Amino acid sequence: MSSSKWTRRDFLETSLKTGAVVAAVPAALQGQNSKEDAVATAGPNIAGAVPITLRINGTDRQLRVDPRTTLLDCLRETVALTGTKKGCDHGQCGACTVHVNGRRVNSCLSLALMHDREEITTIEGLGAPDALHPMQAAFVARDGYQCGYCTSGQIMSAVALLREPCGPDDAAVKELMSGNICRCGAYANIVAAIQQVRKSA
Amino acid sequence: MQTTQVTPDVSPVGRDTPRVDGSRKVSGRAQYTSDFYFPGMLYAVPVEATIANGRVVKLDTAAAEKMPGVRAIFHRENIGKIFRSIPERGFGGICEERRPPFEDDVVRYYGQYIALAVADTFEAAKAAADAVRATYAQEKPNVETHLEGDDDPDVVLTTYGPRKRLQSQRGDAESAFATAPVKLDEMYVTPAETHNPLELHATTAIWEGSTLMLYESSQGVVNLRGVLAQMFGLPKENVRVIAKFLGSGFGGKLYPWTNCALAAAAARQLGKPVKLVLSRKMMFQTVGHRPRTQQRVRLGATPDGKLVSLQHDYLYQRSMLDNHHEDCGEATGFQYSVPNLRVAFGRAKRNVGAGADMRGPGRVPGLYATESAMNELADQLKIDPVKLRVINEPKIDESLGVPFSSRHLLECFELGAEKFGWSSRSPEVGSMKRNGLTLGWGMAGCSWVAGRFSAAASVQLRDDGTARVASATQDIGTGMYTVLAQLASQKTGVPLEKVEVALGDTVLPEGPLSGGSLATESVVPAVFAAADDAIASLLTIATMTPGSPFENRRPTDLAFEGGRVFVRADGPDKGVPFDNLLRRANLRIVTGSGKSEAAFGNPKPKYSTHSFGCYFVEVTWQPEIARLRVSRVVSVMDAGRIINPLAGRNQIQGAVVMGIGMALLEHTTYDPQNGAPINSNLADYVVAVNADAPPIEVHFLDYPDKEINEVGARGIGEIGLTGIAAAITAAVHHATGVRVRELPVKIENLLV
Amino acid sequence: MQTFEFIRPADPAAAVATAAQAKTAQQGADVRFVAGGTTLLDLMKLNVETPTRLIDVNRLPLDKVEATPDGGLKIGATVRNSDLAHHPTVQRDYSVLSQAILNGASAQLRNMATTAGNLLQRTRCMYFRDTAMPCNKREPGTGCPAITGSNRMLAILGASEHCIATNPSDMCVAMAALEATIHVQGAKGSRAIPMGDFHVLPGSTPNRETVLQPGDLITHVTLPPPIAGSKQIYLKLRDRASYEFALASAAVVITVASGSVTKARFALGGVGTKPWRSPEAEAALVGEPANAANFRKSAEAAMRHAKAQSENGFKIELAKRCLTHALQMAMTA
Repeated sequence: MSSSKWTRRDFLETSLKTGAVVAAVPAALQGQNSKEDAVATAGPNIAGAVPITLRINGTDRQLRVDPRTTLLDCLRETVALTGTKKGCDHGQCGACTVHVNGRRVNSCLSLALMHDREEITTIEGLGAPDALHPMQAAFVARDGYQCGYCTSGQIMSAVALLREPCGPDDAAVKELMSGNICRCGAYANIVAAIQQVRKSA
Repeated sequence: MQTTQVTPDVSPVGRDTPRVDGSRKVSGRAQYTSDFYFPGMLYAVPVEATIANGRVVKLDTAAAEKMPGVRAIFHRENIGKIFRSIPERGFGGICEERRPPFEDDVVRYYGQYIALAVADTFEAAKAAADAVRATYAQEKPNVETHLEGDDDPDVVLTTYGPRKRLQSQRGDAESAFATAPVKLDEMYVTPAETHNPLELHATTAIWEGSTLMLYESSQGVVNLRGVLAQMFGLPKENVRVIAKFLGSGFGGKLYPWTNCALAAAAARQLGKPVKLVLSRKMMFQTVGHRPRTQQRVRLGATPDGKLVSLQHDYLYQRSMLDNHHEDCGEATGFQYSVPNLRVAFGRAKRNVGAGADMRGPGRVPGLYATESAMNELADQLKIDPVKLRVINEPKIDESLGVPFSSRHLLECFELGAEKFGWSSRSPEVGSMKRNGLTLGWGMAGCSWVAGRFSAAASVQLRDDGTARVASATQDIGTGMYTVLAQLASQKTGVPLEKVEVALGDTVLPEGPLSGGSLATESVVPAVFAAADDAIASLLTIATMTPGSPFENRRPTDLAFEGGRVFVRADGPDKGVPFDNLLRRANLRIVTGSGKSEAAFGNPKPKYSTHSFGCYFVEVTWQPEIARLRVSRVVSVMDAGRIINPLAGRNQIQGAVVMGIGMALLEHTTYDPQNGAPINSNLADYVVAVNADAPPIEVHFLDYPDKEINEVGARGIGEIGLTGIAAAITAAVHHATGVRVRELPVKIENLLV
Repeated sequence: MQTFEFIRPADPAAAVATAAQAKTAQQGADVRFVAGGTTLLDLMKLNVETPTRLIDVNRLPLDKVEATPDGGLKIGATVRNSDLAHHPTVQRDYSVLSQAILNGASAQLRNMATTAGNLLQRTRCMYFRDTAMPCNKREPGTGCPAITGSNRMLAILGASEHCIATNPSDMCVAMAALEATIHVQGAKGSRAIPMGDFHVLPGSTPNRETVLQPGDLITHVTLPPPIAGSKQIYLKLRDRASYEFALASAAVVITVASGSVTKARFALGGVGTKPWRSPEAEAALVGEPANAANFRKSAEAAMRHAKAQSENGFKIELAKRCLTHALQMAMTA
């Protein structure tokens, strides 16, 4: 294994400014990284919107959502936490995996309003580039990704797996991680990262 | 299993390097196309035709238009003008599906877009799209799986230019076959396969006056800019395309599909940003697929296994309007030594969407066929399949008549056989067992083209000791961010963690398409030239700055190494760090530019440039329950110098996993009743999951190929998939006695 | 997705009262209970299910696993599949149920899916799931394009000329072998439905899948006392190694004394239009020596009335091998 560290402050240029158009989150959610309650009333007026409160990554969010909004689309489009990804929208790929009350679930097959007053943990809540969760760090060290699109779901699944009954060998991990498809096929490194964390615990 | 040596003192290039973008990917901070927000952004959902052949007679949008939150339902009458795009000189203006969306009322494949619902929210747009009612004049679709060649001329136009259908010829293959003492004549079939990158195709379009900014999940931002400029009648400088992170594409995102123009047109009509994200179902209908192939391979040989004749005749299905070419014969002419050879193709039009390059286009199904034929010949002659390849190893590229730049295929076979334990193979079907399971062993060789697209890059040195490297190329999971950082670090001596990387934006110097495994090969000379250019400027600055230790020297007296400038005669230990010199000169940055020319597709090259490799595969077979699984794979690749072995091994392992899917699981099926790709979801189109992936051992020979670039690097994104299916089906035969010649191998094939 | 009213009832009685207003409890229901949502939301997104009212039962007190006075087990309707599979009593006494659940879906889906929801899991038939295609199950009388189309994953037992859709559940196969009873609280009171009677064959009304009436809320499932000394195996055969529905599966519960089979409860998955208990296979084996030849005979009996479609005939042999091998495995369990 290489002795070089992953970049803690990364140097990827992703700030995008062009003319008057600036990539922005919905106005009411700027400052989303603060711990204060944020009220999301900006954005489109949604017919039939229903009020709910979701505790997301430790912060209560009071939201108004279309009842049809899945937990996934609520996270991505209403709250602008886009770390959780949509791969199929039908519970067939695992890219949308988040924790609800500490358990891993496919957020695409659940309605936001079913989770009123529940605890939601997303990949953003697990760690940040300069303060990575050990599982996140292990994925970097082991190259447990290629394109990175399934990675949020893989890591959320992996962290939940640490709290589930799972045999010690690779085969057990592979079976319990089979609900997270990686089309790039980085499975070997994903398993290696998970086993590294399990063995160091 | 990790096998590449890691020596920390080695330069950045060639060292296992954790990805510089990794901390973003693991923390959900990497922003993919559908992760951006703009004030007033609207959501678009296309409406798909539910016939595969016919016309839209009536489109009833009244109910949809009235639904809450709906801004517009677009169709032919109100989308506005979208022009066509034609290929440009160099490599640009390319689309596989050339008909702009909504151009006419004809439907030619199931799922073709016939309308677009735009609303304030995704839920509202989707409900509105579902409420659009189409009336069709329907005709019987043709999705017949048995292919017969259409009446095509001798030279056909393909996406990449004209191609002769008699693709390659030498000697007299037909007579040599007729008189050959040993003959093999078999048909190999590969089904339509769908790329299914995990990231859904997506477009977010924003207009500002007459400038268009497009966020797109694109493997080719420069090409896409050119296409959009044509489609909307804009100067190129008015179009900007951004793709900072891509949830892969496997070729399906190389060229724009109809969603790009639709999102841009809707944004233009409404004067608001529009985000369009495809559904997974649409991923099977409107963004390309690897077409079905039907390949006849005829081998003539001596009883000692020497090939005397090879004929490779192949057909593939194509869409009604477009010309994607699945070049199955690409490697046939040079993979083996054979004096009499003929490669030819035909095409069959079907009511399916346009075909597209899918990881290893042409050569993946092509080598499956020819390598399978070689394995069958080996069995027929009772010669070890490795030995058969060795006997027929060419000394030069016999189709071009030139030497290979760097071909070590025999060494690949030797190392692979050793690491796998091939010498303990017993060739009789079902003769090998372990723990109550029957084993099957198989192998195959492979290759992939090497070359370069034209590329440009810039390198900046900055007064804080950091550097920046930039190119409008893409990282589709291949690790390009890290490659660019490694190359810049190598040349400038700036440590990796201080190199900033910018890619995926057409405002940057024009970088290569992320396709053909060529991007890494292409950027090497451009980045090195840009770094050299920046350093040259730096040396001049060093001599011209008042108070500089090198004032009044000539630039030719100076040298640069490890980030330090020094007088050549003094050596690097007395060097001055470049950032000191910049600060002294009150310069924040010095920029260098570099360009490199394409080296690809030359019909008369000096060398034949390819990567080569092989796989040894073990399957386990449990006849009691007809369960067949791949249990281990050893792969050896002669793929030039590997810039980042950590990512490189991952890449090959990932391709082998996709190969398990290709051999055993994947197929897109078109229902003849309505032409629909009926298994258009990730439960019914079966890809390999974690539990399917066996231990995959990867070895790189690491011979540099200096014909390609200074580092000697060749690309590795696709070679892992070429040939693996033939190794797997050979192993299946060894275990079960069943010879499957139509992929995927299914449990029902083995239940005999 | 069509919009809907979302209701959170205070107790089961309120849930029943609201649901009793539905026109049907079968295909096309305008009122639906939602628990995990993994089937319902999947189908609502496809417009196959179009309820105008959703009744959330997740917070009702139906989530316990408890012993019953007669030594059996009572499983609440909203117990999550993963909790049920890992419950110590289930693992010890009803191991086939644990095995079956853990062979199904993915860990994420097992954390969401509930006992009652899994009993009501709908078919994966590609034509049923696509409203652009005709389908007798969605709209009786419109035809079955699966019979003339792609039917590799569909049923060889219990089908009719109107419908060949497979029941996809793994849990139900184990519950069939365990002779579970489903307890329902309805508008007219409570009742207990034997597992074998709960799902109905498609016949000429494939839109009807269970005996449930509007208002019927599954409150719990009971399992009889475990068969002492039983060997239990769930074997699932599929194309890939995980995260896929069965081509064929078998749940076996057997007891053996002096080398002969004394008790046999077998059920098959992936092959029937409902979870397929096989009394024919059981009768063929009870009293016979427990050996490979007899296991195979039992499997042949199970498949005697199997009817192949154009693409799934291989399932007949595959199911035979599945049951035979499950019995072999049970002997060493």
